[in-house]
Amino acid sequence: MIVYIGPLVLGFILGFILGTRIRINSESGLEFGASIYLIFLIIAFIVAYLLGPFPYYKDIPLANGFIAAAIGIIMGKLLFGRAKNPQKVED
Amino acid sequence: MSTILKIFVFPAALVVMCLGVLTILGGHITPGGGFQGGAMIAAGFIFCLIVYGLKESPFDLSHDFLSAIESIGALGYVFLGLAGLLFSGFYLYNLGVDIYHIVPTSIQTIFNYSDPTNAGILPYLNFVVGLKVMVGLSAIVYAFLAFREYGEEAVDEPIEEIE
Repeated sequence: MIVYIGPLVLGFILGFILGTRIRINSESGLEFGASIYLIFLIIAFIVAYLLGPFPYYKDIPLANGFIAAAIGIIMGKLLFGRAKNPQKVED
Repeated sequence: MSTILKIFVFPAALVVMCLGVLTILGGHITPGGGFQGGAMIAAGFIFCLIVYGLKESPFDLSHDFLSAIESIGALGYVFLGLAGLLFSGFYLYNLGVDIYHIVPTSIQTIFNYSDPTNAGILPYLNFVVGLKVMVGLSAIVYAFLAFREYGEEAVDEPIEEIE
């Protein structure tokens, strides 16, 4: 089976860039725990299966770029998406 | 905004963003491309900005991030064009496909996108255009919201009389 790494790599990079921006403001009261990302990953797999692969792609019956982006978002969030502290404004 | 929206919108925005990424990646074989995919990713950002507001948005779009990604997008496009000019003599020449057979095989291998359609540099062009459009559209909405908030704060402050 041939695995085409093009969409996997570019999708992961784009997702990673997006994931690094997820920084929950600590004063906002919002709380998105691990369960949100788990649900997101499950939904991503379902959506990727329903979307199907691109034309001419015969490797796996999933939209592999979609899966790569979802994993990239989660990895980016885990590595760089720290909680954001409110900025202190100096007079 | 309501609690239901606050719970729902963040994961939904992530799915919309992944769909935008997929639209960018399939730009050379399916309808879509860099602009459309970038607009879809920006829609995810905007979705969160509208529901959560500027300060509570889970996506932190700092000025440095926006300027860096926009620069990477624009410069990446220019560098891909200049690479074609350097190795073939034609600006934006598709080095990965090399239909005129004027580029060494090693260069062709470097610039060829790994997929069954032999697309060359087109997916890379879609990628950098997607980055630029994503940041550009997000920055517009971010700026509008910031101006609005700044305007409301200015109205709340008491007006000092000019002597």
